[in-house]
Amino acid sequence: MDKQYKVQVKDLHKSYGQNEVLKGINLNVKPNEVVCMIGPSGSGKSTFLRCLNRLEEPNSGHVYVDGYDIADKRTNIDLVRQNIGMVFQHFNLFPNMSVAENIMLAPVQLKKMTKEEARAAALKYLDIVGLKDKADVRPTTLSGGQKQRVAIARALAMKPDVMLFDEPTSALDPEMVGDVLGVMKQLAKEGMTMIVVTHEMGFAKQVADRVVFFHNGVIQEQGTPEEIFDHPQQEETKSFLDKVLNV
Amino acid sequence: MMSKHWLGKVLMGLALLVGVGLGLSAQQPVHAAEKTYTIGTVDSFEPFEIPNNRGTYTSKNPGIEIEMLQQIAKHEGFKYKLKVMSFDATLTALQAGQIDATMGGMSVTSERKATIDFTKSYYSSGVVMAVAKSSKITKLSQLKGKTVAVKSGTSGAIYAKKMAKKYHFKVKYYKTDNTMWSDVQNGNSAATFDDEPVLRYGIRNGMKLKVVTKAVDSQPVAMGVKKGQNQELLAKLNDGITWMKKTGRMQKLINKYTKGSASSADSSSQRTIWALIKNNKGALWDGLVETLELTVVGAVLALAFGVILGVMGIAENRLLTGLSSTLIYIFRGMPMIVLAFFIYIGMPSVIGQKIPLFTAGVITLMLDEGAYVGAIVKGGFEAVDRGQWEAARSLGLPYSKALVKVIMPQGIKIMIPSLVNQFIITLKDTSILSAIGVMELTQTGTVIISRNMEGFKMWLIIAVIYVVIITLLTWLSNYVQRKVG
Ligand SMILES: Nc1ncnc2c1ncn2[C@@H]1O[C@H](COP(=O)(O)OP(=O)(O)OP(=O)(O)O)[C@@H](O)[C@H]1O
Ligand SMILES: [Mg+2]
Repeated sequence: MDKQYKVQVKDLHKSYGQNEVLKGINLNVKPNEVVCMIGPSGSGKSTFLRCLNRLEEPNSGHVYVDGYDIADKRTNIDLVRQNIGMVFQHFNLFPNMSVAENIMLAPVQLKKMTKEEARAAALKYLDIVGLKDKADVRPTTLSGGQKQRVAIARALAMKPDVMLFDEPTSALDPEMVGDVLGVMKQLAKEGMTMIVVTHEMGFAKQVADRVVFFHNGVIQEQGTPEEIFDHPQQEETKSFLDKVLNV
Repeated sequence: MMSKHWLGKVLMGLALLVGVGLGLSAQQPVHAAEKTYTIGTVDSFEPFEIPNNRGTYTSKNPGIEIEMLQQIAKHEGFKYKLKVMSFDATLTALQAGQIDATMGGMSVTSERKATIDFTKSYYSSGVVMAVAKSSKITKLSQLKGKTVAVKSGTSGAIYAKKMAKKYHFKVKYYKTDNTMWSDVQNGNSAATFDDEPVLRYGIRNGMKLKVVTKAVDSQPVAMGVKKGQNQELLAKLNDGITWMKKTGRMQKLINKYTKGSASSADSSSQRTIWALIKNNKGALWDGLVETLELTVVGAVLALAFGVILGVMGIAENRLLTGLSSTLIYIFRGMPMIVLAFFIYIGMPSVIGQKIPLFTAGVITLMLDEGAYVGAIVKGGFEAVDRGQWEAARSLGLPYSKALVKVIMPQGIKIMIPSLVNQFIITLKDTSILSAIGVMELTQTGTVIISRNMEGFKMWLIIAVIYVVIITLLTWLSNYVQRKVG
């Protein structure tokens, strides 16, 4: 494990039954780095991302976040997860709570914050994502873009030092995508370490420090946005980019 | 005759205080000739007070004391109005000055003499032992190791308690005559003790018992007025009682009810549905209460057991999920009646200890209904979107907090309609417990019918009670669901 990395993945393997989905992944992410992961459907991007906070259990290999080995069963995963924010494609807001309560839940339950402190913090994060006026409504009344911004605020409220995004905009109507990406750009600018699975090539080009191309359970190619988008080396990368950029 | 417990004493003490207060302020002389006396009497104490279907004393055979009072009033030339209440209430009302005299099979005791001026006694009643018609028991000494059924609060109960040590029998208390008598008839209890006229009257009305001992603990029965008050009425009553005794009227009246033709079941009007309800309202009420108690206690335990099964069923641990599905499979698969027999009759020989009926019933409900609740709870939790778990866990919430704060509230909403339905099924399923003899509504019906043979009408009544209760429950649950949803 190398202290200079926020996230370090070593020879990660993951299978579902006979189907090996991740075939030995190695990846190092430095503090403040924004890594975008692209690749065809079924190539293992989500599975990889979910291994980073042990929503999926790896079969072998190591995943270090902040120096803790996520793959090690002895690691107190609940503690480590508090420092890893995760944003899902389908938001997964808690429908039985108001927007503010969604954000307050974990800080109150885990950080021993008082309700008042947590609410003040929730309002602050809602302000950051531009939804301060929605604090007391139910998530079901929000649009997709608003829901995703609340989900980001919920993750931020735990003050994570890494954020994982799994296609945060692909369930959104096109006109909503910009708001969410805007919030993410802001985060990147403020120095958040981010690993983003995305189909938004524009965002990747503009924001990513590094682009990682997944194919068939391996990292086929990685590099700066210019390297990947303008001078891809691998055939698979080229054909993938051809498909997604010329729709 | 009727005895009262500590509550009665407290009430009487209170009444005395009130009465003294009232008495001081309202001591006007009574002009007897024009006055209509208010006489308090009990709501039912057969054969002294036998109410008709409407709870009043206007039938042909209203009871020994009611008829006696009619004759005395006529002979002495005064008018009266009856005020019907419970026995304890008559004593309170007398001291409070709300009634001028009280009558209700009241025993003359030295304790009561402190606050009541008694009339002459017109009857003397003692406790006798009755056994089933076919029983060979004739003496108390034959009761050793057996169970004796008594109605709580009666002098029969006091006598039984007094004798239990000497003759080594157990005493079982009942709230109503019907259930107590049927327990003796069925042979569950070896004998019962009660006031002789009460028992004899019951026997003449079809109870399949026989009196086997002479009356003991004889106590005089009399009417009473508040001490130092209503002396004019007291004099008239005494004069009337003397007259009735001297002319043989009193004996004739007593014979009519304990040996003669008068009975409560003498007219066809007693066989209407209303009459059946009226005559059995105590037993039906007790049965309904038992059913509701079983339902509530059973459902609460089933809910607890079911939630445990459900939470186990969604655990990450294979052992727990396996155990959960096995338990659900076993208890859902087993007929409840078999489970009830197994627990009530089978288990005691294994654990070497008897299980009380109610406990056995409640455990049966807990296991059987709990298995269904378990399946409902498990299903409800599983119906919550997987993403909710992942979102909660990825925030760092431990399993238990994610379950309680995020999954449960959503799962419960999904479960509520099924849980309410299961609650109603639980109420209906309590009837199965009649098989092991739990005195719930269905068993009460069985017992009543064994006495009066009115199968059609009684089952109709019982069925309607169930439907009414379930309708009320359904309304209530719909209301609750609307509030929650
Ligand atoms: N829980 C699971 N059980 C079995 N197979 C799974 C499971 N989750 C994912 N897979 C399989 O693993 C492979 C990789 O899936 P994954 O979701 O990681 O792909 P992805 O790159 O995120 O694709 P997409 O762009 O469509 O989201 C796929 O073949 C998928 O069918
Ligand atoms: Mg995916």
